[in-house]
Amino acid sequence: MITEIEMPSLSSLYGRAALGAARSKLRPGAGARSLPGKTMLAQHPGVSAEQAESYRRLFGGEAFDGAHRTALPSVLVHIIGFPVQMALMSQDEFPLPLIGLVHVANEVEHLRPVRVDQPVQILVAAENLRPHRRGTQVDITVTVLEAGADPAGAGRASSGEASVLWRSVSTYLSKGAQLGTEISQASGAEQVGSSAVTRSEERESFVPPVKTASWRLGADAGRAYAAVSGDYNPIHVSQLAAKTLGMPAAIVHGMYSAGRMLEGREPEGAGHRWWIRFEAPVTLPGTVAFAAEPQGRKVVRFTGWNPRKAKRHFSAELQLP
Amino acid sequence: MSAQNIRDAVIIGGNRIPFARAHTAYATAGNQDMLTSTLNGLVARFGLQGEQIGTVAAGAVMKHSKNFNLTRESVLGTPLDPKTPAFDVQMACATGMEAIGSMANKIKLGQIDSAIAGGVDSISDAPIVVTDELRGILMEANRAKTVSQRLKALAKIRPGHLAPQAPGVNEPRTGMSMGEHMAITAHAWGITRAEQDELALASHKNLAAAYDRGFFDDLVTPFKGVSRDNNMRADSTLEKLGKLSPAFGRDLGNEATMTAANSTALTDGASAVLLGSEEWADQHDLPKLANFIDYEEGAVDFVDGAEGLLMAPAYAAARMLKRNNLSFSDFEYLEIHEAFASTVLAQIKAWESEEFCKNKLGLDSALGTIDRSRLNVNGSSLAAGHPFAATGGRIVATLAKALHGKPGKLGFISVCAAGGQGITAIIEGR
Repeated sequence: MITEIEMPSLSSLYGRAALGAARSKLRPGAGARSLPGKTMLAQHPGVSAEQAESYRRLFGGEAFDGAHRTALPSVLVHIIGFPVQMALMSQDEFPLPLIGLVHVANEVEHLRPVRVDQPVQILVAAENLRPHRRGTQVDITVTVLEAGADPAGAGRASSGEASVLWRSVSTYLSKGAQLGTEISQASGAEQVGSSAVTRSEERESFVPPVKTASWRLGADAGRAYAAVSGDYNPIHVSQLAAKTLGMPAAIVHGMYSAGRMLEGREPEGAGHRWWIRFEAPVTLPGTVAFAAEPQGRKVVRFTGWNPRKAKRHFSAELQLP
Repeated sequence: MSAQNIRDAVIIGGNRIPFARAHTAYATAGNQDMLTSTLNGLVARFGLQGEQIGTVAAGAVMKHSKNFNLTRESVLGTPLDPKTPAFDVQMACATGMEAIGSMANKIKLGQIDSAIAGGVDSISDAPIVVTDELRGILMEANRAKTVSQRLKALAKIRPGHLAPQAPGVNEPRTGMSMGEHMAITAHAWGITRAEQDELALASHKNLAAAYDRGFFDDLVTPFKGVSRDNNMRADSTLEKLGKLSPAFGRDLGNEATMTAANSTALTDGASAVLLGSEEWADQHDLPKLANFIDYEEGAVDFVDGAEGLLMAPAYAAARMLKRNNLSFSDFEYLEIHEAFASTVLAQIKAWESEEFCKNKLGLDSALGTIDRSRLNVNGSSLAAGHPFAATGGRIVATLAKALHGKPGKLGFISVCAAGGQGITAIIEGR
C-alpha cells in the first residue's frame, strides 16, 4: 500500500518526535511489535541550485556550473529523501521511538544521475525489524524515482528499472528497545544490509591504516551540515541536548562523513554504489583521521578513526562503475 | 626555433636579506618592504641604477590582496628604470625556482637580455582575512539596493563569523600539514631519526662555516640590523638535537622521527638573482658565475596517498637527467632543499632504489647515489630557514657562486613544493 504525503518538514517532525519520546513504544519487556506495511511516497520539486551550492561550500567540491557538474552527489540525494524517512518513522504505528534512534549503516546504489532542479518522487518503506544485542534494528529503504513514473512495485524493482534513479538502505538502531521472541526468531542474525556486516571481533582488532587526510571539525560542524540538510536533530547542534540524550557531546551527522569521503571521489554522474558503517560517533569539536585506500581501479575503501584513541568512527567502500 | 639559436642564460649574481625566524627581527616588515630592500641591494651590488631590466619576476606564497602587483610595486620603489616591467609568480615553495627558470628561458630565446627573478615571504605579516560567512554577508549587503535589504543582510552576522582567519598551513585537499604528510613518507621509506638529525647538524655547520669564510659577503645584504640568518645554530650538537620530542607524525608513536630541529622553521625573508645574456653581462662589465642550463617541473598524485606530498622532485629529476643525458655522478655540487631533513633523505633513497626507479620512474635501474660530501655544502634551509618563495633565489645564487671558477662543472637543484609539486634544475659553472 502506497500512501502519498506532502513533502514533510523536518522541524515539525522533530517537534512530534520529542512528544513521541514520552509516549510508550518499545520498552524492555514490551510485547512484539511489527512494522507498518505502509510505503510512503512524496513528490520533491528537485534540489535547488542554492541548496546544491550550499552543499558544495560545505564540502569544498567543484562548482555546480551547469556544464561540467550538473548531477547531485549521492549524499545530497539522501538529504532530500531523509524527511520522508523521518515521516515514516514518526507514525504512531512505527514501533521504535524516533528520539534516540542511531544511524548505524547506509548503503546507496546511485543508478542514474539526479540533476539540479530535477523533480523526483521519493518512496520510503521500513523492512527487517530485528533484534540486536543492544536493542532493535530496522532498515528504511528509500527509492528515488523519475517524476511521473509509476511508483507501484518500484520499491522492489531490479536495479535495471529505468525510472529508478537512486536507492538506499538506511539502518537504524533503537538502543534498549527489545522485540518479543517471535520476531527475533523470524529475522535471524544481526545483519546490516548485504555488505556492511558488523562483527564485534572486527572492531576490537582495529589497526589504523596509513592516514591520507585529517578532518578538523569545529564545534559548529553539526550546525553547518544541519544548515545544508535541514536536519537539526538536537544531538548534532546542541551540546546540552546531546548530553541530555546520553551522548558525551554533540556529534557530527553520520552522513557528513559520507559526504566528505565521497567528495571528489564519486563519479559526477552515476553508476556507483557505496556503503558506510558507523561505529564510535564523532564528537565535536574533534579531529578525524581518514584513509582512502584504492583496491584496484574500481574500489576505494575508506576508514575514519580517532587518531588519539585508535577508535574507528566508520568504515566504508565505494564501488565505481 | 633550432637549438643553435638558443643562447646561454648567465647567472650574474644574487642578493638576499638574512632570513629571520617568524615573529622575530622582521616582525614589522611586510613582503614589499623585504623584496624592495633585496632588489635595492642587488641594484647597488651590480650598479643597476637607472637600468631598464628586461623583466622582473618574483612572488610570495603568503600574499595580501593589496599586494596584487607586489613585484611591480617593489620595482617602483628601487632606482631601476620605472619602465622595467614586472610580474608576480606563485608556485608555492618552488616560486623562486619557477621565476628564475622562466626568466632564463626568455633570455635563452632572445626575448629579453636581462632579468631579475626571486621571491619573498613573510609569516610575521601573513594576511589575516574574515570568515567566508562574514565575507558572503558583507558582499550581499554590498549588492543590496535598498537600506532594508542591506540591514536584512547585515542582521545575519553572528559572533562566530567575526573570528579572524589566519592563512591555512594545511594542504586544502587533505587537511594535513606538510609535516604530517612528510612524516608518512619518511616512515614509509624507513628514514631514521639519527640520519635526519645528522643532516640537520651538517646544514648548520656548513652554513656557519660558509659565513665564517666570507662566502656570503657578496650574496647577503643586512636588513633591520640582522647580518646572518638568525635560525642558524653553529654550536648545535647531535646530543642537543637528540633531546627534542617529535613535532610531526605523533600518531606514529615511538616511530615518530621528525622534530622542530630536523624540520624547517617558519621564516621571513627575500632573495633575488640577476640573469642576463653573455653580451648584456659583458656590456655592463658584470661577472658571469654560471649558466642556467635547464629546469623541470614535476607533480605527483598525493591526495589519496598514491605518492608522498614532497616527492615530485624525484620524478622531475629523472626526466631532466634523461633529457640532458646526465647522471648524479656528473654533478660537482647538489642542492636539495631541506623542507625537512627527511625530504632530502627520502628523495635520495628513492633515487637509490631500483624498485622505485623501475616501477615509479620507468627506468631500467636505480638513478644513482648521491655523494653526500657534495650535498648542500654551504648549508640549506634547515639552518638558513625557508621563506617559501625566497628559497629558489637563495639556492641558485649560492650554487652559482660555488661553481664560479669551475668552468663546465655542474650543479643540481631540487626544490619540493606544496600541492605535490616540485622543480629540479641544472646550472653549469663558468
